[in-house]
Amino acid sequence: MNEAMRPGDWVLLSYRLPREPSSPRIAVWRKLKRLGVAQISDGLVALPADARTREHLEWMADEVQDGGGTAGIWIARPAALAQERELAAAMAEARAAEYRAVLETAAAAAGLPEGERAAAVRRLRSELQRIGRRDYFPPPEREQARRAVAALSGTSEEARA
Amino acid sequence: MRWATRANLHIDRAACVWLIKRAIDPDAEFVFVADPAHVPADATAFDMRGVDLGHQGGDCSFETILRRYEITDPVLWRIAETVHEADLDDERFDVPEAHGIDIALRAMSMVCDDEQTIAHTRPLFDGLYEYYRRAALLGREPA
Repeated sequence: MNEAMRPGDWVLLSYRLPREPSSPRIAVWRKLKRLGVAQISDGLVALPADARTREHLEWMADEVQDGGGTAGIWIARPAALAQERELAAAMAEARAAEYRAVLETAAAAAGLPEGERAAAVRRLRSELQRIGRRDYFPPPEREQARRAVAALSGTSEEARA
Repeated sequence: MRWATRANLHIDRAACVWLIKRAIDPDAEFVFVADPAHVPADATAFDMRGVDLGHQGGDCSFETILRRYEITDPVLWRIAETVHEADLDDERFDVPEAHGIDIALRAMSMVCDDEQTIAHTRPLFDGLYEYYRRAALLGREPA
């Protein structure tokens, strides 16, 4: 079978945290969100496996344990391609929503005075970088958002080429 | 003394290796293992799950080692900010160069084994130390 036609490896974090105190739960939830994990079910999240994503989730497992919970790290492969595509599509859609927010902010900033617009460009560039780091299956919105921010800063693709 | 960490060095582990040799144990020997269970009994493990010298309370392993060994050198703590942002990228510190240094390390680890990465990153971290030291003295970016 063609290598590309087989589901890839995913790294999974299974975890349970006590309901109280709530601060470790919230801290873990925020960090997982920042990593862009796919939520498979309650207490089970996944990222495409590589050395880096595995390390990130391993540290999260430690943090869960430090917060009085239990956690495990698993390397797993979806049994069917369709299941992997579903996972990837959900992750891509989550990122697409973030890129759409960038597009909206960029559109709103177009009418601002020069100084405020430049500040908006800086913020949006950082935001694009943040989203990009957790974007494992880039949706078409990524390119649109990138172009919108470039247009807002007055540096068109042609000008840079 | 023997020290052990996970194989496949990235920014935090490479920086810890440099830090241990420079500030804690000049004769340090390093063992790289694939699984925490393979850490030799006589070795001090760092930057691995479940060991003391790992990520603690939002700190990366480099910061944890500085704390545990009560190292107060402000230049090493400045390097710690860079390592923290390159590794964790949580915007606790404002270090624009961290992303570039992270990419440089990841790129190097694609074509170098761990021994080579250690050898090549030593002058990088020595240089960063000198750079941040001069920056602190001058109060601006050194030439």
